[in-house]
Amino acid sequence: MGAPGSLIRVNAAPCGVPHTARMQTTTFPGQSAAWTFDRDLLRRYDRPGPRYTSYPTAPQFTGDFGEAGFREAARRSNEEPIPRRLSLYVHVPFCTSPCFYCGCNRVITRDAGKGVAYVERLRREIGMVAPLFDRDREVVQLHLGGGTPNFLPPRLVGGLVDALAGAFTFSHDPARDFSIELDPRHVTPDDIAMLSAIGFNRTSLGVQDFDPEVQAAINREQGVDETLAVIEACRRYGMRSVNVDLIYGLPKQTLEGFGRTLDTVVAARPDRLAVYGYAHMPRLFRAQRQIREEDLPDAEARLALLGLAVEKLSAAGYEYIGMDHFALPDDELSRARREGGLHRNFMGYTTHAETDLVGFGVSAISHIGDSYSQNRRDLPSWEADIDAGRLPVWRGMWMSRDDVIRADVIQQIMCQGEVDVRRIEKAYGIPFGEYFHAELAALRQLQEDGLVQCPPGTIRATPRGRALLRIIAMCFDRYLDNQGEGTRYSRTI
Amino acid sequence: MAEREYPGAVRGTPIADDGDEFTFCSTCAFSAACLSEGYDKSQLRDLHVLVEHVGPFREGDHIFREGDPFNAIAAVRGGTVKTYVNDASGREQVLGFFLPGEVIGLNAIASARYPCNAVALDTVMLCRFSFPMMATLASRMPGLQRHLFNLLSQDIGKASLLAGNYTADERLAAFLVLLSRRFAERGFSATRMRLTMARTDIANYLRLAPETVSRVLRRLQDEGVLRVDRRDLEILQPAVLGELAHHVLRD
Repeated sequence: MGAPGSLIRVNAAPCGVPHTARMQTTTFPGQSAAWTFDRDLLRRYDRPGPRYTSYPTAPQFTGDFGEAGFREAARRSNEEPIPRRLSLYVHVPFCTSPCFYCGCNRVITRDAGKGVAYVERLRREIGMVAPLFDRDREVVQLHLGGGTPNFLPPRLVGGLVDALAGAFTFSHDPARDFSIELDPRHVTPDDIAMLSAIGFNRTSLGVQDFDPEVQAAINREQGVDETLAVIEACRRYGMRSVNVDLIYGLPKQTLEGFGRTLDTVVAARPDRLAVYGYAHMPRLFRAQRQIREEDLPDAEARLALLGLAVEKLSAAGYEYIGMDHFALPDDELSRARREGGLHRNFMGYTTHAETDLVGFGVSAISHIGDSYSQNRRDLPSWEADIDAGRLPVWRGMWMSRDDVIRADVIQQIMCQGEVDVRRIEKAYGIPFGEYFHAELAALRQLQEDGLVQCPPGTIRATPRGRALLRIIAMCFDRYLDNQGEGTRYSRTI
Repeated sequence: MAEREYPGAVRGTPIADDGDEFTFCSTCAFSAACLSEGYDKSQLRDLHVLVEHVGPFREGDHIFREGDPFNAIAAVRGGTVKTYVNDASGREQVLGFFLPGEVIGLNAIASARYPCNAVALDTVMLCRFSFPMMATLASRMPGLQRHLFNLLSQDIGKASLLAGNYTADERLAAFLVLLSRRFAERGFSATRMRLTMARTDIANYLRLAPETVSRVLRRLQDEGVLRVDRRDLEILQPAVLGELAHHVLRD
């Protein structure tokens, strides 16, 4: 074993076994919770599944929830002895040009007037929604996502935040988390200064890959210098955490090119990194049809790209938070994960637990008490509702008691990598083994593959399992047809 | 009696359902009064006094309204009931909350009509003790009526305690201590309870603003006296809470 903090690579190559079957694992013992990047396992478990930013997931929402459901949810949430504090999310769907990989809800336009009209309607939506929440419920988190939030010039963003500040009670606690997603191609250091003055203290920047070949193939030409300048400006103007998004599996991507991107990004030392795997679903996402399938890395190449990212990030000291997220050890996400204060919501991993989430704008999702709801997903419908004085609620649901229990279990898996079975039993008055009899049977397959251990009173992801938290969580998702799915996949070699 | 989980826990309920037309349930709120006066269930039926399980009442359902003719009292078997009146300007004034094992309608026992409204705060099950005519109790079963009056005087006692000139902290502490005692008396936990009543109802009852109720709870939580998780409340330092409530409860 090497000294703490060093990399250990184990290459096991049984004699006579062909090259492609060689098992490769990389273990990182220096991190506060060791985890192992096991390609063989990742290969076998490379299956699509929800990201569990919510449970139940959005496909379970139904149209009969409606405006009445939202109002009822808000009313009930005010009635708790200590009503939860609030997180606000605003979706800004506009982008000036389409990135071909994108599956997010967006509207491509260069007409700045559309942004002005959108904010006008957001003000009206705020005017209808904010009064539903008691004023002593402080806003401790605000996130602007999209699309491209900086499609709106800073002054317009300022007007929007002012409207929210007037209608809600913003927390003055410096720990409050006010973040904005930015496209570095269309934001200047002066913009960053203004955004900081408006109150934002955290940013997330899109990069994906600096390789010019890849950028051409995804229609996102973004220079290194302009990106680094934005990161530097964020630091200069007091953004306490900067996140960079990268994507592996993009068309024309190579180990060399992605490796250079990683080196460049790591050198800039962002506080957080998200490394997403590109999901090619051209039937669902129109823009992706402009990507040629022949240009895409195959499954092995994807794994290699991910492995490279994991290797370089870990060598640079980044800790693995879960799913695709990495953070420096001093970043609040890392600290929260170590101390057990990590949570997961639609904004991804967060330190702010126990807030009700109120979403504004097209497609925005709200999570109020035991309800979920989502706004109209297309701009014209959202506009029509606002103009008619209706809340633009498209669909939603009330969580059943079973949903609440499973959501708790899944949250524990996704955030701690571990389920405290006794706590679940005590909190909900259920015998875990009986209640989750079928799920535990499915879990046994994962146990055999070395993803989880089940000592008495705990379900714990192993170092290998920590790279596959989603797969473990899927065992408890009653909306997946996954009972016995583990047995459908045969072992390789 | 072994400490049991707060009401609403899936694992069993302390309110038994083991009676029938002829025998009282083992935990019946009325059996002591009736049996001590020599009435079993069949004798009650002969007098047209019915003891029967009714419900479920859903959240918001009224069990009786102010002015309705008085024909029954009821013991709460599950859930929480709130009683209230509307003041001269039509504003709601909360009179009290009734937990499993407690009896509603007692304050009507001396008149022909209910003097207040009773509404279910969640899913409520009742055991209704009904008489066809008001006169039956007074003329035929004066002993039983006296027993029921005794229950009423306890009821009045707890309501008046919260009307005095006390601080918000003292009132809230007294409210929680009384709740804790009431739960404990029924075999539930004295330190873990579910606050089924909305904060506006608690605030109304204690003559406080809703924000004040939360502010006090948050402060007590920060000081480690109690812990609140959604509607669940755990008293971590009963002695401290008792000290705070002492002035109000005077015991």
